[in-house]
Amino acid sequence: MTDNAIEIKDVGKSYSGHVAVRDLSLTVPRGAVYGLLGPNGAGKTTTIRMLLNIISPDTGSIQIFGQPNYTAGATDNLGYLPEERGLYPKMQVRRVLRFLGELKGLSGKEADRRITAWLERLGLKTAEKDWGESKVNELSRGMQQKVQFIGTLLHDPDLVILDEPFSGLDPINAQALKDTVVDLKRRGKTVIFSTHLMEQAERICDSVCIIARGEKVLDGGVAQVKAEHAGKNIALALDGAPNNGVSAVLGDRALVTRVDDNNRSFELELAPGADSQDLLRRLIGAGARIQRFELVQPSLHKIFLEKVGATNVEEGMSGHG
Amino acid sequence: MDKRIAKLVTVIKREYLERVRQRWFIVSSLLVPFMMVGLVAVPAWLSAKSITIADVSKVVIVDATGTDLGARVAESLFDSTHTNPAAARAHLRTATTATLAAAESVATRDVMERRASGFVVLDSSTATRRRARYEGRDATSIGLEKLIQRALRRGIIADRLKARGIDAAQIDSITSVDASISTNRLDENGRGGSGIAATIVGFGLAFLLYFSIIIFGQNVLRGVMEEKQTRVAEVVVSSVPAETLLAGKVIGVGGVGLTQQVLWYGMAAVLMTQIGPFLSRMSGGKAAAAGAGAGVALSALPNFSLGFIASVILFFVFGITFYCTLFAAVGAMVSSEQEAQQAAVPVTMLAVLSFIFVQPITLNPTSTLAHVMSWLPFSAPVVMPLRMTLLSIPWYEVAGSLLSVALGCVIATWFAARIYRVGLLMYGKKPSLRELVRWVRYSH
Repeated sequence: MTDNAIEIKDVGKSYSGHVAVRDLSLTVPRGAVYGLLGPNGAGKTTTIRMLLNIISPDTGSIQIFGQPNYTAGATDNLGYLPEERGLYPKMQVRRVLRFLGELKGLSGKEADRRITAWLERLGLKTAEKDWGESKVNELSRGMQQKVQFIGTLLHDPDLVILDEPFSGLDPINAQALKDTVVDLKRRGKTVIFSTHLMEQAERICDSVCIIARGEKVLDGGVAQVKAEHAGKNIALALDGAPNNGVSAVLGDRALVTRVDDNNRSFELELAPGADSQDLLRRLIGAGARIQRFELVQPSLHKIFLEKVGATNVEEGMSGHG
Repeated sequence: MDKRIAKLVTVIKREYLERVRQRWFIVSSLLVPFMMVGLVAVPAWLSAKSITIADVSKVVIVDATGTDLGARVAESLFDSTHTNPAAARAHLRTATTATLAAAESVATRDVMERRASGFVVLDSSTATRRRARYEGRDATSIGLEKLIQRALRRGIIADRLKARGIDAAQIDSITSVDASISTNRLDENGRGGSGIAATIVGFGLAFLLYFSIIIFGQNVLRGVMEEKQTRVAEVVVSSVPAETLLAGKVIGVGGVGLTQQVLWYGMAAVLMTQIGPFLSRMSGGKAAAAGAGAGVALSALPNFSLGFIASVILFFVFGITFYCTLFAAVGAMVSSEQEAQQAAVPVTMLAVLSFIFVQPITLNPTSTLAHVMSWLPFSAPVVMPLRMTLLSIPWYEVAGSLLSVALGCVIATWFAARIYRVGLLMYGKKPSLRELVRWVRYSH
């Protein structure tokens, strides 16, 4: 057993001359909420499909919980919510769910028990109405989305892969999904989701991998990534007006190249090669009463733009979407 | 159970149960046997009816022959059992050549005023030229004509026998003979049922096989397209390999087809046994022709051996596999109904081609065309069962043809699985032929 839910090594895939994914390597630790970020067409869905063994990579290897993903049953412990959702429209909800559960190795009986619990939990089975008895196409879109969640999670997988899970969700279902992700994480499950919404990833993910044009741009823990790309900006707030000693420190061009003075709060830009901790020590030494001293971290969106360049960002690629 | 097999079974179960539950399946399963029985029974019933309604009870015989020919005809028509000579005499009006015209005009008025339905005129030429005249309301009834003809014939023969000095009792036993004929196919392997029945059954069998294959093929195509359009395919293939999904689909649909065939023939057989006695009651045993007509359906069927049934089932299974996999590949290629119609043409053409030749092959089941078509994988499932009902085909030819279809299935499945696997996840425009070739060549 390994500590990694997923290990992707040097994976490449191309379609008739067009490279979808190039030399991608990434590791997803067990129990992490992992974001696969990138603009539309970056290769996220291809990566996920290779992960699920829906398509095979041309090169490289993929392991799920320490097992090659093409071994029989390797993907049984995996729940998948595709970007474009769909169920058999003319099938009864319960039958669709039982079918999906049985495909993952659940017995019909066990599936039925869990389906009832899920339908009740998501409000699809109440005293008045059991939507489980209806056909899929009789349900509203929001209800169908709920059924699709159930289908993804019915077999209680240890690894959940959600492709653009928030797109097309109504606010209530989006909230429910967020709660579900948090709940899964709490129960030690690993969650991977792809999104082109950086801000969302930043809020939910422990780790991220940003890919563009089929290549990995960067990956790692969110805090680590942001720290690595932390700029030279420091937000400083003092209790009371700065004394002379403090002003002298702030005026030291070897430490600080620029000060934006907002009276009691300052935005500083650190001099090249200067250490922020050195600055902090000297400020305290000068007798400053510090309320706030923060290395201002760039958003993932900013990091992404910095790394990939705004020119490569497609329409719809935004940190505020 | 092995995981892969368990998954395959899950897919088969879904494909089978979802189809069997559908209304069109239930309706077509119930309706077709009635149509099958109707096709055989209605003509038989009609022929039975046309004879039984030939009502002679109000026919008058005007006899101007001056012999007892009229009495004999009347006896044959109205008193064949010699129990009621008065009844026969009541229909007979004798006249002379001089009074014939008057007698005829009386009879004509009787018919016009509905006291009689028609009259037969026997005159001096009847005995010599063996010709009589009938005038009446139902002059077009073939059954009536036949009955009168037969009575007349008996009368003339009896007259001639009498002229040669044979006594009345003997005459009666000679002329009251009725003959009927039943046809049997006979070839180097012995007896094999009625010729007409074999043709009807063979044609029906070929049609139902063709019909079933086309219907279920189209059904698979729509099913695959639906999976692709609703994107449910992606969820499913994340749990089972595309090949398993395809195999489960084809086996499930094939099972539905087989179920339907069994229901069809089973129900038709039961209906036939119910309707057979009814038909012979209809004809009342009066007319041998009608009885034979009804009997065609039942007693004169070709000899269905176990081997025959087993090979027809195999042909059906292979045929439906061949076409369903191809239709599945088409379904995976396209993204809309219109595209599907177009893309399915080559596959549909193969099926239609095998059916177009059913009629010429029925007429000449030993022709080169028939031989060739029963060896080609796409047409053998329809043509070979047809020929097997018409002729007795040596077992090695049947086995060879089955082998050829099985081989066709393997090749079709190999291509279809590759196209299916790639196409299922490709959205957008229909692939060109070159792209298809590339799909087939993708390793995975």
